[in-house]
Amino acid sequence: MLKVLVPTIMLFPTIWLVPAKWLWTSTTTHSLSIALISLAWLKWTSETGWATSGSYLATDPLSTPLLVLTCWLLPLMILASQNHINPEPASRQRLYITLLASLQTFLIMAFGATEIIMFYIMFEATLIPTLIIITRWGNQTERLSAGTYFLFYTLAGSLPLLVALLLLQQSTGTLSMLVIQYAQPMLLDSWGHKIWWAGCLIAFLVKMPLYGVHLWLPKAHVEAPVAGSMVLAAVLLKLGGYGMMRMMVMLDPLSKELIYPFIILALWGIIMTGSICLRQTDLKSLIAYSSVSHMGLVAGGILIQTPWGFSGAIILMIAHGLVSSMLFCLANTAYERTHSRTMILARGLQMIFPLTAAWWFIANLANLALPPLPNLMGELMIITTLFNWSPWTIALTGLGTLITAAYSLYMFLMSQRGPAPSHVLKLPPFHTREHLLMALHLIPVILLVTKPELMWGWCY
Amino acid sequence: MWRKLFASVPAFRAPKAPCRSFKSSSRRAEKDFNKDLEAQFRAFREKVAAAMPGSDWSPFELTPGLPPERADVVIVGGGVVGWSIAYWLKRKERVRDGLRVLVVEKDPTYSQASTVLSCGGIRQQFSLKENIELSMTSADFLKNINNHLWVVNEDPVDLQFNHSGYLFLASEKSAHIMEENYRTQRHAGAKVALLSPSQLKERFPWINTDGVALASLGLENEGWFDPWSLLNAFRRKAMSMGVYQCFGEVTGFRCSSNVAEIADGDFVDVKRIKYVNVQMPNSLEYQPVESAVVVNAAGANSGKIATMLGIGLGPKESISGIPFPVEPRKRFVYVVHCPDGPGLDTPFLIDYSGVYCRREGLGGNYLTGMSPEETEEPDISNLDVDDKFFQEKVWHHLANRIPAFEQLKVSSGWAGFYDYNTFDQNGIVGLHPLVPNMYFATGFSGHGLQQSPAVGLAVAELILDGGYKTVNLNAFDLKRIFLREPILESNIV
Repeated sequence: MLKVLVPTIMLFPTIWLVPAKWLWTSTTTHSLSIALISLAWLKWTSETGWATSGSYLATDPLSTPLLVLTCWLLPLMILASQNHINPEPASRQRLYITLLASLQTFLIMAFGATEIIMFYIMFEATLIPTLIIITRWGNQTERLSAGTYFLFYTLAGSLPLLVALLLLQQSTGTLSMLVIQYAQPMLLDSWGHKIWWAGCLIAFLVKMPLYGVHLWLPKAHVEAPVAGSMVLAAVLLKLGGYGMMRMMVMLDPLSKELIYPFIILALWGIIMTGSICLRQTDLKSLIAYSSVSHMGLVAGGILIQTPWGFSGAIILMIAHGLVSSMLFCLANTAYERTHSRTMILARGLQMIFPLTAAWWFIANLANLALPPLPNLMGELMIITTLFNWSPWTIALTGLGTLITAAYSLYMFLMSQRGPAPSHVLKLPPFHTREHLLMALHLIPVILLVTKPELMWGWCY
Repeated sequence: MWRKLFASVPAFRAPKAPCRSFKSSSRRAEKDFNKDLEAQFRAFREKVAAAMPGSDWSPFELTPGLPPERADVVIVGGGVVGWSIAYWLKRKERVRDGLRVLVVEKDPTYSQASTVLSCGGIRQQFSLKENIELSMTSADFLKNINNHLWVVNEDPVDLQFNHSGYLFLASEKSAHIMEENYRTQRHAGAKVALLSPSQLKERFPWINTDGVALASLGLENEGWFDPWSLLNAFRRKAMSMGVYQCFGEVTGFRCSSNVAEIADGDFVDVKRIKYVNVQMPNSLEYQPVESAVVVNAAGANSGKIATMLGIGLGPKESISGIPFPVEPRKRFVYVVHCPDGPGLDTPFLIDYSGVYCRREGLGGNYLTGMSPEETEEPDISNLDVDDKFFQEKVWHHLANRIPAFEQLKVSSGWAGFYDYNTFDQNGIVGLHPLVPNMYFATGFSGHGLQQSPAVGLAVAELILDGGYKTVNLNAFDLKRIFLREPILESNIV
């Protein structure tokens, strides 16, 4: 664990001490080498449930894919931000990359935490760099309201979590994930325990986000600069899923009845947010709502508490993280050229940027869960487990899949096909950096088709 | 006691310096206290309401009237062409708020705007097919204006459209041009009739037909209307559809430059506009508006806007050395009163000498004027009217053509600018090769108002659909300026 964490912390001196000419090259190389080192975690050599464990940090089959995703994402974020941050003064550029690196550090410590309080502290700590990125580097005046929504929704959810954790500490005597799974099952019979159950999970449901408390997500995603959108979509939403998976181990048997309303909200959210996508005019807003839709499925899978549900959830989280981040990068390339996120103004791009049209095509296909990509595998497993729980859910999840295909097609046709307005005919061409960015997003997704064991989690 | 009573009655109180008298001061102090308290409560409530999330209160004082920081389409110029484009853009967005359109207008009083200083005529008697189609489409729009520009709970639009038609007179020398134009117009679908001098005399006995070989009268869709009503109708409807309006002056652009190599090996700078700097009136403060597309509908000031982007400032032989050929030209309009003048059926008469005359209202007033010679263009630094021009140039031709006008009185007059296209006096619609996201819709040289609804639709189609659908304006594209192929009208006013 330290072999990745220490180089990540050493990113800070790298950022601040490297001469300005070499800033982007060195940070990209440094973070890429961290990512490559982190791939070593994927080799599962441990006999017990946990590996590479230190005193406070360890990895296990649930956190390993998320950790690798986090480490993989940092060079991609730096690659994506290069163009729009370049005009700023050097110290501000360094500050921006510092915020990204600090997010990386907190996330590694969050996913690797073995103590739930440490996870909680890192969970909260990730809010601060994200808030600064959104409000300082966002492009429109609405970024202030976006930052407020983002911060206070998450905080309002996580303060009950703190209380719930302290209560858990009181009753079980420990909060280490290694130990608590073997603790005595608690007597959870009173109304207070039900509220405690909700307190444990609300923070993560807000973060996922669940449909009723999802309002912060479109605002935050749209107003954030590209790196902020990437990290939000790819990793920060998965913090919620990961937290839920860890916490629900201790929350039986209350879960059997109490998950009911949340699963309904999640399933309804898939359809509602999918339908909202069909009416969006802003490209990033469409991708943000599609994130909510996919995360609704993940939330359903986790709340169901079955092995298939968990595996499906992790697979969908990883696949969605990569694909959604890729879509945000593509939207950003269009935004940097036309300076507008409105879809109606940047149409017919296929004739102008053919290779990018290919990236758009594959990203949209992945988003609508085309086999054999892992998006489909995760979705299928979640849909199956929900069907097992209640056959009626197939109506909602099936309709959700249909609507997902509809809005992905809509996004592709609106941006790539159709008559190109005259003002996009002379847009500056794509850089190799941008093509590299898309390829680096897509290659893990395709490779994971060949070896999904890496992200199945501990259920297999 | 009586004195106090007297003093307390306002009618009896002698006018004195404003100071409070003892008697009523306590009651007034009470009232003031209550009013103050009310005012304070109101202020508190407003402050609390403003501080709730979701409002746009900020601790920094914002200038009122600032444009938004970002807009998808910025239309420079709030005349009838600009607002027409804004309306059609909003009409063609598929979903509500699909497009954020901002119209920037320098002068809220429209004191020098060509739109409101126009005579308001509309005709199809052009020689270019595109001009005829534009005017026909616009006339159709204007006749059904309340189907297009209605706003809930507001009065219907009344353009005061007088369908009296235009009457062009041709001498022996130009009769063949008029016949050719007549054929073009009929082919395009305009309802025009040719009249011989005797038919002309029969129909309009007040005309002196000396020297007239042929006359062409528009039978339908021609006449004049109130330009101010049209402008306000477009504006009201566009703003009800969500178009942002800002009163400010565009003083510059922030662009990103790329170097491109053109066909003959030269290198030119291609600029893409990223921000439009809008300066607030009477202030140095400006707001950079981030935008994807800019439309130059600034009329007489279009040339100035183009110069801000460096068009025309490059080396003389290259494409960037060709300036944008629109400049303001002053034209006078005189209001004359003649009690014995032609009656209600007076068309908009245009003589071959260049003088024009139309009826204004029902009280025997007429609008008249004439285009000056190329060499005698009036000074464009102000909008002062030159009365001598009427006395020396206009009256002679006017009285010659309409004998009743030998006795008339000039009641008033005004001057307005044509956005004069020095290249070929026809509209310029399209993209500039050096600035790939600035659309031009200007240079109409006196027929912008009558073509504005159709031009607005055409530009909206260009921006959103990538090509013309209703009226094909490819002939008005800017490339004719660079290829030096003017498309000239055979008759202009």
